[in-house]
Amino acid sequence: MGMIEANGIRTHYQRMPARNATADKPPTVVCVHGLGYDSLASFYLTLAAPVSQAGIDVVTYDLRAHGRTDRPMSGYRLADFVEDLRAVLDGTGVEGPVHLVGNSFGGTIAFSFAERYPERVLSIVAIEAEPATDEWARKMGSTLSNVVDWMQDQQVLDWLELTFGSHHARLSKIAGAMIAATTIVEEVPQGPLLDAAAMRGIRCPVLSIVGSEGFQADDLTAVASALPDCRTEVIEGQNHSVLVERHRTVRELLLAWIEEIEDAARPSAVRPSYAGRVLT
Amino acid sequence: MTTTTGPTVDAVLDDIRSMLVRVLDQYGLDDVEITTATTFHEDLGLESIDLVTVGSMMTDQYGEQVNLAAFLADLDIDDVIGLRVGTLVDFVHAALSGPPRTGS
Repeated sequence: MGMIEANGIRTHYQRMPARNATADKPPTVVCVHGLGYDSLASFYLTLAAPVSQAGIDVVTYDLRAHGRTDRPMSGYRLADFVEDLRAVLDGTGVEGPVHLVGNSFGGTIAFSFAERYPERVLSIVAIEAEPATDEWARKMGSTLSNVVDWMQDQQVLDWLELTFGSHHARLSKIAGAMIAATTIVEEVPQGPLLDAAAMRGIRCPVLSIVGSEGFQADDLTAVASALPDCRTEVIEGQNHSVLVERHRTVRELLLAWIEEIEDAARPSAVRPSYAGRVLT
Repeated sequence: MTTTTGPTVDAVLDDIRSMLVRVLDQYGLDDVEITTATTFHEDLGLESIDLVTVGSMMTDQYGEQVNLAAFLADLDIDDVIGLRVGTLVDFVHAALSGPPRTGS
């Protein structure tokens, strides 16, 4: 378990070096998890090991107030999360531009990071994630407010346990405790938000992976429409939990994507393969 | 096929029990009975992030040969939620007793 001081926050991270690497300098994937009861475990349990075994360096970390990372009372604007990511990259010695893989709010961080530090991002894989637009802020504010109300209602907690099981109910309580102890509800939707011009400034290639029944079900290609270079992959019949419930599919899409992006930057004679190199 | 001789199943269970006690101790929990039938989430009340900690403990104790993240990545989410201590014991015992793994 690694701990670093990043942007003033004691931050938990995990680094899995590339194994079986065929490239002189393996690509680096940095995984950013979502908000609430999420943590780097979502990537540790799904993508991290297989991706590192395919010859790619993997770094993932717990966002502030999540997992094993410290929980300050305030400092939860999106800009704070962006600076945390920059500090993690600096603190873990990651050199050169990286592929950012963001799950839900982690993808929102990735988009804002790419807008702020374009030279540090080779590509983004956004899993059920949207950039920080006005519409995103409205939905996020509404969702977080609802969570605050739910956590104060024992009937809702009982319903969660009955419907989704004790594991889900316990996770919801963890998220509720984090929300109650911090200013995250008020601060996250403040952004700063990205306007249309800022969105067009995110010029790196983006792969948007969405569930057909997920948070973007109303318009599955809205993200692609707003960005200069974005492809959409729809996973049919899947809700928001794309990463944990369809991790094998996400893994295949991710490895093929990295190979495609890396190939585009190399002469054909020295192109290593990542897709199809998942060793179990 | 060349095999290496690893610790016994009972020795691995003792190791994992010790790791879990250290994790539970962080939450102020003690005197928790841990058997092979004990479930990680439901019985011990631990979360996914605690599995990450156990994975680091396993690497510290046994080396890179025991890669918990790689093992868990092959499971479905329901299997992870229902994970039993015995499953972890079997995984570690197999990793330490089998032929030396290469390329992983």
